[in-house]
Amino acid sequence: MNLKNNRGSDSLSRRLIVVIGVLLCAFPFAAWAVTVTGGNGEHGNDLDPIVRLMLQLAVILIAANTGGYLFRRFLHLPSVIGEVTVGILIGPYALGGFDWPLFGTPFPLGDGMIPVTTELYGIAVLASILLLFVSGLETDVGMFLRYSVKGTVVGIGGILFSFLFGVWCALWFNLADSFMHPTALFLGAISTATSVGITARILSEHKRMDSPEGVTILSAAVLDDVLCIIILAIVTGITRVEQAGGVISWSEIGWIAGKGILFWLILTSIGLLTAKRMARFVKTVRNPSTIAYISLGLALFMAGLSEMAGLAMIIGAYISGLAFSQTDLVDLIQNQLHNVYHALVPIFFCVMGMLVDVSAMQGMLVFGSVYTVIAVASKVLGCGAAGWVTGFNARGSLRIGLGMLPRGEVALIVAGIGLAAGAIPTEIFGAAIMMTLLTTLAAPPMLNIFLRGGPGMRTKNVEDEPAASNITLTFPSYDIAEFLMNRLVKAFRIEEFFVYRLPVDIPTYRVRKDELSFTIVQDADKVEITIMAEGADIARYILLEELLSLQDLFEACSEIKGLDEMRLDIIKGAIEPTPAPEEKA
Amino acid sequence: MNIRKILTKEVISLDMQGENKEQVIEEMLDMLTAAGKVTNRKAAAKAIWDREKKMSTGMLNGIAIPHGKSDCVDSLVVAVGVHKNGVEFQSVDRQPAHFLIMTLSPANRTGPHIQFLAEISRQLNDASIRDRILGATTKDDVIDILTG
Repeated sequence: MNLKNNRGSDSLSRRLIVVIGVLLCAFPFAAWAVTVTGGNGEHGNDLDPIVRLMLQLAVILIAANTGGYLFRRFLHLPSVIGEVTVGILIGPYALGGFDWPLFGTPFPLGDGMIPVTTELYGIAVLASILLLFVSGLETDVGMFLRYSVKGTVVGIGGILFSFLFGVWCALWFNLADSFMHPTALFLGAISTATSVGITARILSEHKRMDSPEGVTILSAAVLDDVLCIIILAIVTGITRVEQAGGVISWSEIGWIAGKGILFWLILTSIGLLTAKRMARFVKTVRNPSTIAYISLGLALFMAGLSEMAGLAMIIGAYISGLAFSQTDLVDLIQNQLHNVYHALVPIFFCVMGMLVDVSAMQGMLVFGSVYTVIAVASKVLGCGAAGWVTGFNARGSLRIGLGMLPRGEVALIVAGIGLAAGAIPTEIFGAAIMMTLLTTLAAPPMLNIFLRGGPGMRTKNVEDEPAASNITLTFPSYDIAEFLMNRLVKAFRIEEFFVYRLPVDIPTYRVRKDELSFTIVQDADKVEITIMAEGADIARYILLEELLSLQDLFEACSEIKGLDEMRLDIIKGAIEPTPAPEEKA
Repeated sequence: MNIRKILTKEVISLDMQGENKEQVIEEMLDMLTAAGKVTNRKAAAKAIWDREKKMSTGMLNGIAIPHGKSDCVDSLVVAVGVHKNGVEFQSVDRQPAHFLIMTLSPANRTGPHIQFLAEISRQLNDASIRDRILGATTKDDVIDILTG
């Protein structure tokens, strides 16, 4: 049966690839048709900007999603790597820059700092805002607070080492003449951001998510994101002054840093303090998709506000997400934005790949390699040493260092901002992309090796345990457990809780309302509810009531009339009974 | 959740007289009917007793939460009774019930019904709150203690 399914799946994949291939081949002909019928120019280069944007988005959506799928399916690599790689291939410096017969240049070089058209870059920026808004939503402030000591030390260790080594690397290769040079600052900032999505997946596969290393990595990653965004605010501020021809003094740096941190603190405080009130206001709408898109609108507003304040747009977007992460709307917003997120985010990664000048990269391969090695070493050393200080042994410290290694979306966004601001030239941007991809590739196999083995602590972990309790109920069969699970979900919804199924293999629901939060998991014939102390009573009462109603249902089942009788009732409508011979007579 | 909106003086009794479970439940239903919160008393009694027959709602620490779901009410209705001497309620810890919280909620309407029960029970889990309620002389005091 499995074999058959695999074959079916392979055949489906092949068919999908053929369909997508045909679509890609058809694209030049469609574009040719546009030029012929619409008279947009001999080779389509004089296309109306909006028509061009639509055609570019068509190519990007098809190519990026295919690339992501193929990398995941056949190379077992994260789809983001496929999307960026496809972007490099179809971008203005590679295939997209050629003058194709009948089609023209699909991705002509832009006029400004960014080598793609302004319209396309605008869509990529929108995607980056959405990406950071969702990152903010996913931030587990509670987890950070529970493991704040280890998380803070590890986060700061990693940021400090990787920023300083990134800056030093720029100076070493004479790409910058001083520590305060925008190129040096951006290379430092790019190498700080950690993307723990991949690490989280590997930790989960090894059942190490709740190990001391696992929680420390996840907690440190929260601080890491926040610090990286503050660094970006400071670096952007310094770069703007530098580019305006101003000479930066230490007092000015202090002022810019202070302004960046102050803006961050004010916006975050306003966000966190007003989040619940905002959520209450937004909830009056009662329509889930309207609630989600009003929230996204607020994130875009905050993004614009932070750009107007002289900072990057993603800062406002991240703070908005962080604010909403503290409300009971968090799962609803994530759920509703899921489709638009998956439509837009591959465009962002693909456009980031498009910005890579492959030919200019040739002279930068040595720098790119050294920058990558330094980025790996600085994170492993910085986070590892911090891990050692907080009580981990060599094995545990290495696990933490490797877990914090992958750079991801934030590094790409910071690099894109640096490129758009003219702080880093295209060839260095390419090196930054190379570092991001290689660190993302390097982390999983190394983590897979080092996660095996004994404990990672020198002493017993004495960190405060989360104040959660579990109730596990075992039922006679999977079906009964599933039935009760569905009843519980319904009961929580009746009590006006927001209930969402998480995208994991076994049925798992997150239940939230104001400060109350539970997780319900059905594992085969067991139903497990994880309850934080604050909301324990309501969960227990609802569970008790549903168990009682389940008992009612079982008793009611005994009153169902005989199966034979029911069978007759059901079948009678489908097959007309033939009258017996004597009846005919 | 705003308990003050749901809990009013006319549905609070500081001097429950019933000598057994049946009597105190009837006493509380009388209170709800007199306050105009329940118009179909028979349906309300059926809902409470249907639930009570499945499993007693006598909890721990002298708390009992007789409750039921019925379409005889449009929204959550609540009655609170304080029984100074305590009454046998087949509680989990076999202790007499001193604090009786009765709720009736519509069968097919969303709302924080169980959450209300849980919230009141959570407050009554605090021994000092229980002592203050037992010592309360006015119904306003009870509302203040439970909403404080």
